[in-house]
Amino acid sequence: MQTQQSRNIIVTENLGKSVKTSNGTLHILSDINLLVTFGESIAIAGESGSGKSTLISLLAGLDTPTAGSISLNGKSLTSMDEDGRAAMRNQLVGFVFQSFQLLQGLTALENVMLPLELRGDKTAKSAAVALLERVGLSERLTHTPRQLSGGEQQRVALARAFVSKPAILFADEPTGNLDSKTGAKIIELLFELNLENNATLILVTHDQTLANRCQRIIRLDAGRMV
Amino acid sequence: MKPLGLAVRLLWRDSRAGELTILFLALLIAVTSSTAIALFSDRLERTMTDQTAEFLAADMVITSHATIPESWLEKATQLNLAQAQTAEFSSILIEHDELLLAGIKAASANYPLRGFLKTTTSDYLAETIEHQGPEPGFAWVEKRILSALKLNLGDPITVGEKKLVVSKIITYEPDKQGDIYSLSPRVMINKQDLQATGVIQPGSHVHYFFQFSGESSQLTEFKRWLKPQLNLAQRILDIHEDRPELGSALDRAERYLGLSSIVVIIISGVAIAMATRRYTERHLDATAILRCLGCKQRDVLWLFVSQFLILGLLTSALGCALGWFVQEMLFKLLRNLLPQSVANPGWLAVFLGLITGMTILIGFALPPLLRLKRVSPARVLRRDLEPLPTSAWLVYGLAFGIVGVLIWQYTEDLNMTVTIFCAGLVLLLILGLLIYLILILARRSLPIMPLNWRFGLQGLLRNNRATISQILAFTITLVAMALSFTVRSDLIENWHKQLPERAPNHFALNIFPEQLPTLQTDFKEQGIEGSQFYPVIRGRLTEINDVTVQKIVSKDSQGESATHRELSLTWTENLPEDNKIISGTWWSPEKKGEVSVEQKLAESLKINLGDQLLFIIGGQQLTATVSSIRSLQWDTMKPNFYMIFSPGTLESFPGTFLTSFYLPDSKKTYLNQLVKKYPAVTVLEVDLILKQFKTILTQLTEAINYLLYFALMSGFTVLFSAIYSTLDNRIYESALLRTFGANRSLLRKTHIIEFTLLGLVSGVLAAIISEGLLFALYSKALNMDYHPTLYLWIALPLIGAFAVGLAGCWGVRHVANIPPLRVLRDS
Ligand SMILES: Nc1ncnc2c1ncn2[C@@H]1O[C@H](COP(=O)(O)OP(=O)(O)OP(=O)(O)O)[C@@H](O)[C@H]1O
Ligand SMILES: [Mg+2]
Repeated sequence: MQTQQSRNIIVTENLGKSVKTSNGTLHILSDINLLVTFGESIAIAGESGSGKSTLISLLAGLDTPTAGSISLNGKSLTSMDEDGRAAMRNQLVGFVFQSFQLLQGLTALENVMLPLELRGDKTAKSAAVALLERVGLSERLTHTPRQLSGGEQQRVALARAFVSKPAILFADEPTGNLDSKTGAKIIELLFELNLENNATLILVTHDQTLANRCQRIIRLDAGRMV
Repeated sequence: MKPLGLAVRLLWRDSRAGELTILFLALLIAVTSSTAIALFSDRLERTMTDQTAEFLAADMVITSHATIPESWLEKATQLNLAQAQTAEFSSILIEHDELLLAGIKAASANYPLRGFLKTTTSDYLAETIEHQGPEPGFAWVEKRILSALKLNLGDPITVGEKKLVVSKIITYEPDKQGDIYSLSPRVMINKQDLQATGVIQPGSHVHYFFQFSGESSQLTEFKRWLKPQLNLAQRILDIHEDRPELGSALDRAERYLGLSSIVVIIISGVAIAMATRRYTERHLDATAILRCLGCKQRDVLWLFVSQFLILGLLTSALGCALGWFVQEMLFKLLRNLLPQSVANPGWLAVFLGLITGMTILIGFALPPLLRLKRVSPARVLRRDLEPLPTSAWLVYGLAFGIVGVLIWQYTEDLNMTVTIFCAGLVLLLILGLLIYLILILARRSLPIMPLNWRFGLQGLLRNNRATISQILAFTITLVAMALSFTVRSDLIENWHKQLPERAPNHFALNIFPEQLPTLQTDFKEQGIEGSQFYPVIRGRLTEINDVTVQKIVSKDSQGESATHRELSLTWTENLPEDNKIISGTWWSPEKKGEVSVEQKLAESLKINLGDQLLFIIGGQQLTATVSSIRSLQWDTMKPNFYMIFSPGTLESFPGTFLTSFYLPDSKKTYLNQLVKKYPAVTVLEVDLILKQFKTILTQLTEAINYLLYFALMSGFTVLFSAIYSTLDNRIYESALLRTFGANRSLLRKTHIIEFTLLGLVSGVLAAIISEGLLFALYSKALNMDYHPTLYLWIALPLIGAFAVGLAGCWGVRHVANIPPLRVLRDS
């Protein structure tokens, strides 16, 4: 029982999300039952508007479901308050987004240091420098996002995601804003880092070949798993 | 987490990116100006208190008809107060067969405690400043004494039974004041010679003045201790009560200074609120990222609040330093107008500037900033997830509370604060309602508009909340500026009217009826302009409707002191200039036995129209009926009377005449001629007081002009912060419109229409509100006459439309040039 639970890093039961609009209730997600084991890589595919981003925002504890439950690493996300979820995000989770989401005011180095600093980790700087070197940006430490290209920004984002050694990495169309060549390089880097860290990967993508690199593909259609 | 380090870093980056410029400027102006104003008015007030203290020759004076208890003097000694005493009485002097009623003053050591005496020993020598009265055995006299009694310096003069040597001519005596109608030429002797004159006997009319000076806290303590022990015949003199003409000018100026402070603070507060709004909106994304990375709500809020606190402290400190500097500059600029010694700036005022800065920041910036706490971390995936704006109750409530506290602090008058506060609340509600109606009207009229007008209007309507807050901000700013401008002009005009170029600066009293015709001819020949010649009959008011007046009056009131001494009664056919009938009617020529009473005295003695007043004049009784109540302008140097009788009532009583006239410095020598020809006539020279008074008013006027610049500067920060607060939205929308093919000229026209409309509406609303506030302010706080200010109704809408239109177009000038793709991608 004990070992069984620790092997399942994400467990959802009848997960659902609906919002009230002017034309009645809109069910964005319904009856999602998902079991992700430690170190597994999963692609989430589906048409635009099928609920992919909504699903990972629920799994990562960025938003709260309206039905069902989620547990991460054996702890119930749904019974936590916002501060509990924040702590959970900081300890357990890394993110990479389509639109990079770097803090414009901070340098590349400071952006990467941020998750560790929020934790109060004294080694934040050395760890951040090491990871930026790993993604090939050792020359660009003091540059702000505005001074970096899209591909470089996404590499900073990758470094930031892995610097805290997360157990799970969430990536929402990480190549969506990049040309195919740069995108391919980013994907290589992402899989390499994921392997090195032995992290669980949840990847949202439209790209069939990319999805095929994952161990499992989940398809969403109108908010339901198919 | 190391929140402070991160906060400093983010703050530094933001400030370098120009995100904080407007916030910084608004706060800087608020703190600089409120510090400068606080320091300046504090210093000016203390300088002037010192200056006016000279008029009393002390900081505080007790007048009494007898000596005061020894314990009072001991208490004063305990409190480290310096002390001096003078005794004043009238005495007839006889020398060389000439007879003259002189005012004798016996001065102790230390007199004068404040200010100085001036003496001379010859017409040709300069005056000497003296900090002591005459030594025992000597007398100093006014020049008129010498001419009237045919004396020379060095001659003996006999006061009562004591023979003294005349050693100096007094040319200036600081505390020569009081009831100017009874002043006679001065002979000053030493207090030690007083007993030997033999004048002091039971029943003789001697006024004692016990003078004190020292620390103001000590004086206040002394006053508080003393007040309950005073008897009916004893009174405390201080500057505000005993120099009414200066007192009211100072009071008004202080209130205006306070008003300017509040105006600048409100305007800056609005600018800060608008700037923070934009700051908040531009930091939603960063907040979402931080939250996504695991930053708790509390920590995020603290991260931003601590940035504001750091910014606030740094800016406030800088503002205090600048305020200090500005205030020094003001004093430098006014150097020629100010007395030699100026009071030092008070440190407390600087500290107050710091507190004020932080208070404004918290009051106006915190509510919009609180919105960041509610940013959802899911915003990293869905950018349209906007946190709800902070509740309007909190936003306006806190701002109102802060402004209320500041108003209270500046006015130190709870009643007035509550009045202003309620008026402001009602006005804001009305304002909100009006804006709402205007927006509804605009929406209705949309379909019938041409395209560019429709775009312009839609721009305003699309973001209802932002538009409302922009109109509010512009309106409040325009109102504040209109107020400070109008009040300033009226205040200055009022002072000028009060003291025209050729205001009377001399009084001539004790003119005997038989001398009147020749004196009038002499004046005409000399080209001297003066007021009417008023008859003066001394009399005492004893009964009102058969009730003794002492039973009616309350202690310490104006009426009380009026019943203790003889009043100067007069009669005249026409209502004197500057007098106004408050109730009742001025008499027709043939009415006899009527009297017109001054308003404040009537109030304090509870005299009403139709009351029967009984006067004792030279042992005879006279009854008169009150037929009108008058107000007068005490702060003009013209003869003023509490009681004016109708012609035919007083003629049978013996009396003299009195006038005031203007004599330029160049004609000053004519006084000698005048006194020689009419030795009995007393001439009072008030030109010195008048000059000093004018100087003070000029100082205040100058200072007030500079203050207006602060209001203007803070007005500009509002303008730009309000324009910038919606700039991001506008850039985005314009880019969108351009991708759909809207050309630049259409966009530019749209923007012009949009901003000009915004300014116009704000201007019209501001005119309505200003008019209401001016009315309240004039009648409640400044005691000035209210006139409708028509020019505001034209100026405010025009200025609003022009300034907002121009600033708006300037703010968005680049919008039309940025490639739309870049704008859309960036967001
Ligand atoms: N808070 C919300 N309010 C209203 N509708 C929402 C909300 N969140 C999501 N939706 C709707 O739910 C649906 C799914 O959205 P979601 O962003 O998860 O789709 P997606 O699969 O990520 O699409 P894409 O591939 O285009 O990114 C969409 O139709 C979206 O408009
Ligand atoms: Mg999506």
